[in-house]
Amino acid sequence: MRIVLLGLLLLAGPVLGGSPADDAVVVTTLRNPVAKSYRKMVEGAKLFDEKRHLAPTAELRFKLLPRKEDVSLEGVRLKVEAESVAIPIKVAPDHTFALEVDRAALSKDARVIPNRKAGTMTWRADVRTPGLPPNVRRLGDLRLECEVGMKAGLISNYPRGFFGWLEGLFGSSPDYCHRAAPRYLFFAEQPLFGVTLVDGPRREVLSVDMLYGGAARDPDWKADRHCDCEALFDHAYFVPLGDTSWPDDARVELEYMDGAS
Amino acid sequence: MQPPPKPAEAPLGPGEIRSAHAAEYALDVGKSTKADVRARLGEAVVVDFESGYEVWVYRERAPEKEPAAKAELVLLFAPSGILAKTRVR
Repeated sequence: MRIVLLGLLLLAGPVLGGSPADDAVVVTTLRNPVAKSYRKMVEGAKLFDEKRHLAPTAELRFKLLPRKEDVSLEGVRLKVEAESVAIPIKVAPDHTFALEVDRAALSKDARVIPNRKAGTMTWRADVRTPGLPPNVRRLGDLRLECEVGMKAGLISNYPRGFFGWLEGLFGSSPDYCHRAAPRYLFFAEQPLFGVTLVDGPRREVLSVDMLYGGAARDPDWKADRHCDCEALFDHAYFVPLGDTSWPDDARVELEYMDGAS
Repeated sequence: MQPPPKPAEAPLGPGEIRSAHAAEYALDVGKSTKADVRARLGEAVVVDFESGYEVWVYRERAPEKEPAAKAELVLLFAPSGILAKTRVR
């Protein structure tokens, strides 16, 4: 990993550390934007490389998601910004982006800043093994998403206590993902009706308690304005990431509300 | 000598059913309305979404002294109010 990271630094430095190209995307400066630490996100990317065995053929991207019902991410723009550093990041139509390593940005403790205000959107790591159907995720990919997401500090808006009593022991470190049933929220592409783990002939339908941020056990779920799943409750699910009886190759099959049973 | 009579079973609470499979069998996907289901099964734990979809959850009452996970019946109502999907776990 050190060699790869050093290579990236050497490659990216001259390219990304210089002046933005003439056709660079200009990100309008907002008051109180929802920003993330560039350094922590790079650390998350480094962890992805260290734990590639969880998802050997996957790539790491990061994903932007709406946090409010009336927020559209169309036209969202990103930049890495610090004193004397401003690097635009290309956001794909699916609102994912790759993060490149820039030595100057790291040394200036830059932030990754979208043209959106705080509280309007959220972030996740996006790890996808190619070749799977759209409604199927791979458990190892999700394990890695959780670890990278925690390392990168993408879920820092959760209220104190959301992660349970082990929070005090593990804080928001990737170790949290090793719990049998961590409350790390994943988001499906469409509203969910069910989630089933599959490993060969073994199948396990997850309890409805693992869907919708646990709303079926919490009558006050609509009042929760801390969870970054606010606009995506019907897409949200937990997975028993730390249950080692399920291998990394286990399939996580998603059944959508609007679709065949 | 007669055995002592069994104590009367407490009535089911909101979201409780005696048999998830029997309850599911009594419903018609594509036909049953919310009123139909409420009349048959009583009040559910309802998770309603901005989209108009609603998820209703019923759980079997756990037998006394058996802390095993209770079976759950999950129903999905389309925005039209008609039962769209069911699942027993």
